[in-house]
Amino acid sequence: MKLRSSHLAMAIAIMFSVVPAKAESAADLNDLQIAHVAYVADNIDIRYAHLALAISQNPEVRAFAQTMIRDHTAVNEQALALLAKLKAEPQGNFLSTTLQQNAEKLIDEMSSLRGQAFDKRYAENELAYHKAVNDLVENSFIPNIDNAEVKALFEAGLQIFKAHEAHAQMMVGKLK
Amino acid sequence: MTIRTRRAVLSNSMAVLTAMAFGTGRSSAAGPVEHAVSITGFKFVPETITIAPGDRITWTNNDIVPHTATAMDKRWDTGTIAKGKSKSLIVGEDHLTEYFCRFHPKMKARLILR
Repeated sequence: MKLRSSHLAMAIAIMFSVVPAKAESAADLNDLQIAHVAYVADNIDIRYAHLALAISQNPEVRAFAQTMIRDHTAVNEQALALLAKLKAEPQGNFLSTTLQQNAEKLIDEMSSLRGQAFDKRYAENELAYHKAVNDLVENSFIPNIDNAEVKALFEAGLQIFKAHEAHAQMMVGKLK
Repeated sequence: MTIRTRRAVLSNSMAVLTAMAFGTGRSSAAGPVEHAVSITGFKFVPETITIAPGDRITWTNNDIVPHTATAMDKRWDTGTIAKGKSKSLIVGEDHLTEYFCRFHPKMKARLILR
């Protein structure tokens, strides 16, 4: 399984501050490892959204966060149902771990913010996060997924996450 | 009420929803028309439909995630349409023609009143 390492390296370097050399080893990820990355990425965004609901008083930010919980939960349910049908389990890997570690740091950082400072940081992170993950999914994962059903789910997911990216862009614009 | 008589098959909740959303409607001279809108790939398809009071619009969600069809001024709203489910409303005379998905505000479509 090959990856377009330039897209992947760029996405990871921008979003997760890891060196490109390390990102390139993601070329070895198989379908089940890719599924694990996606599952972790979904859950991270759900955690960000719960944080937003706990801190933000801004109705638009809260509505966005509720949509993130609703949509990412739906995608994860669909993914788990497909994996159950395929009698397969997602496999942890270095990229999932990197995502998780960076999310912990970001949650710590955002937890200390309040009011508009939090809203702005949350919105900007949602935009950057969806951009990075969408790039990863579109240019690195989808072209390299072997199983047709898994690929179809990722294609459907990408459509959803691109809508989130556009929504986040709108939210960032309103918070300026 | 004309609509309720003609739409005796509708459920009570549908009738309540219709009354809340649109008030009293009126059928066109040719009789009410059924319109189907598919929600697919974060788009309302077709994006524009021509309607008359008394017509019924049914939105079916073919996406993985839930959507709504909601008037821009919030005067009517289908509520959440789950994956694979449909919701219907009967067109009244005082509705706004543009609508969107409350969950995904970039999704927009239009009703043109005949």
